[in-house]
Amino acid sequence: MTFLQFAFYFFASVLVFAAAMVVTIRNPVKSALFLVLAFFSAACVWITLQAEFLAIVLVLVYVGAVMVLFLFVVMMLDINIAELRAGFTRYLPVGGVVAVLLVVEIVFVLARTFSPQQFANPPSHAADYSNTRELGELLYTTYVYPFEIAAFILLVAIIAAIALTMRARAPRKRIDPVRQVQTRREDRLRIVKMKSASRTAHRDQQDDAS
Amino acid sequence: MLANYFPILLFIVVGLGVGAVAVSVGKVLAPHKPYDDKLAPYECGFEAFEDSRMKFDVRYYLVAILFIIFDLEIAFLFPWAIVLDEIGAFGFWAMMGFLAVLVVGFIYEWKKGALEWE
Repeated sequence: MTFLQFAFYFFASVLVFAAAMVVTIRNPVKSALFLVLAFFSAACVWITLQAEFLAIVLVLVYVGAVMVLFLFVVMMLDINIAELRAGFTRYLPVGGVVAVLLVVEIVFVLARTFSPQQFANPPSHAADYSNTRELGELLYTTYVYPFEIAAFILLVAIIAAIALTMRARAPRKRIDPVRQVQTRREDRLRIVKMKSASRTAHRDQQDDAS
Repeated sequence: MLANYFPILLFIVVGLGVGAVAVSVGKVLAPHKPYDDKLAPYECGFEAFEDSRMKFDVRYYLVAILFIIFDLEIAFLFPWAIVLDEIGAFGFWAMMGFLAVLVVGFIYEWKKGALEWE
């Protein structure tokens, strides 16, 4: 077993361990932290597979951003452990059947087609080889159409996030110093010219009204 | 190529080692005499007022989602910046189209007030 294989199996076993802890540990915050460990191990596995750009992006995007989101969701939901565990035995048969089905499907597919012997080792590259460069040369020329579609998917995500979580808030009363300074007398004050009524005429009108 | 990553692996190993040694030495050598009052949670000298699990405002979630989206956009920019001199004008304008679509989203969220915090 070469050192590379050792590193691969080490990180892969850490990944499996962390993934198992994510679903079994009780405290949701700790489970989120184990998910961070799982992401890091997955990034290390990808580096041993020479996908360096994907590995760095996994750490940047998932550990940096998605985990923050998960923690917010964990905080937002106010999870009550006792309530969650109440339905455990009730949902066990359904969940068990689904889990067994999934495992059977995966074994069925993998056992026939997937084994390490069927895939040649990736060729080892020179020290100055850049995975990112190769990716860039393809992504912005050959695959430019999916790339632009990605932009629209992100746009949809922006609009959906705003539509789901924005609340209508009261219009704020805010001071605008520019408008304050530029205000002229004519904007605020209206001088109405009118004839002054004589005192006697005024009294007559009052008498008429009553 | 993978040999380039060996120093990083060494850093991880050394970092884990230093962290583990520091914690375990503290655990072994430090005096350990707990009693009830010492272990009780407190908040600025008072008893804890409430549970530490409190609900967050949903607006944090909105900020986090918008952050993820623009984080992804940055991830697309890295390979583009590296190969910019090889992909020519076509690649340049491909990225400009990508950014234009996201600028539409940015203007939308700005005008909608999603970036405002009252």
